[in-house]
Amino acid sequence: MMRRFILIFLSVFVSSWLITAIAFAQAPVPDDQTYRIAKQLNCPTCAGRNLADCPTDTCTQWKNEIKAQLDQGKNAEDVLAYFEARFGPTVLQEPPKDGTTAILWAAPVGAAIVFFGVVGVVMWRMSQRRSAHTVAATAAIGPNTSAHASAAADPFVSELEREVKDEL
Amino acid sequence: MNSEGTLNASPATPAAPAKGNGKGRLLIVAGAVAAIAAVGVLFALAFSLVSQQGARPTAGSPAPDFSMALYPGYTGGLPEQIKLSDLRGRPVVMNFWASWCVECFKEADALEAVYRKYKDQGVVFLGVDYLDTEAPALAYLQQYNVTYANGVDVQQKIAKAYRITGVPETFFIDKNGIVREVIIAPLSEAQLSASIDRLLEE
Repeated sequence: MMRRFILIFLSVFVSSWLITAIAFAQAPVPDDQTYRIAKQLNCPTCAGRNLADCPTDTCTQWKNEIKAQLDQGKNAEDVLAYFEARFGPTVLQEPPKDGTTAILWAAPVGAAIVFFGVVGVVMWRMSQRRSAHTVAATAAIGPNTSAHASAAADPFVSELEREVKDEL
Repeated sequence: MNSEGTLNASPATPAAPAKGNGKGRLLIVAGAVAAIAAVGVLFALAFSLVSQQGARPTAGSPAPDFSMALYPGYTGGLPEQIKLSDLRGRPVVMNFWASWCVECFKEADALEAVYRKYKDQGVVFLGVDYLDTEAPALAYLQQYNVTYANGVDVQQKIAKAYRITGVPETFFIDKNGIVREVIIAPLSEAQLSASIDRLLEE
């Protein structure tokens, strides 16, 4: 009885494993791979829209083409190269990094460098000015001959000193 | 008050200008100039790209020349690689289409019928497949029994040269390579025949 049960269990297990293996081997390319590639392409008819998220007939056809090429065994690079060759580099979400598009890549970086450079210089100058004011104020309060001289030259301070002396 | 009985409450003397002031100002000016120059370069680039596209060909203007590889089996008696300027001496009906274009279905039969009617008079029909993938395009040509020349507009170079706004669009080009008519709509047999008759009269 036990042997029969084990035999049935094993045959069910092996046959289900075989069916699953065959099904996976023949399974079409998962749609998420098509989606991932479509995410890297632009819709050709709707400006600024991603191919993956566009429901137009054109985009549906292009997504079918991606899936067909993946099913033929091509990889993502091959598929993207096909689309670029047939429809031009503007079809790619990220323009290729070559001479003509170098400015597109360099401009934001250059702008950021200039912006942060200017901000840095302004902040550095402000901090320099603030510390110079602090030093000057400290020097004026301390026993410093030049501070004495300037205090003596100030009529308000002289008046104040005289009043204090009178009080004393 | 200090030990000498003197108050040192005088306001601080104004700080001398920081040594780096001139240098800092120069840096700010240089940064601003660089930023303005960068914006200027971007504008110049955008302007040159727009001006490169040129004006849309209208009736009376020369048809921009182009080369196109024809789909195998859809050459209409022409070489597999054609050049528009090589077709001088023959009127050309150039139709932009796509297999995903619903409006194109409406004129597909009319285009083929009128091509068959006029091909012996030397009229060339040229289908330009726009933003299409190959398998559905070939299926479309087969479905409508198309026999005239058809090719793919690789990287939309032809569409850009003619500044099309969509599909279908049809350009009627005379034997001297001048655009005589542009129609942005699906065409009927009668419309096509009338336009071709005008081309042949010239």
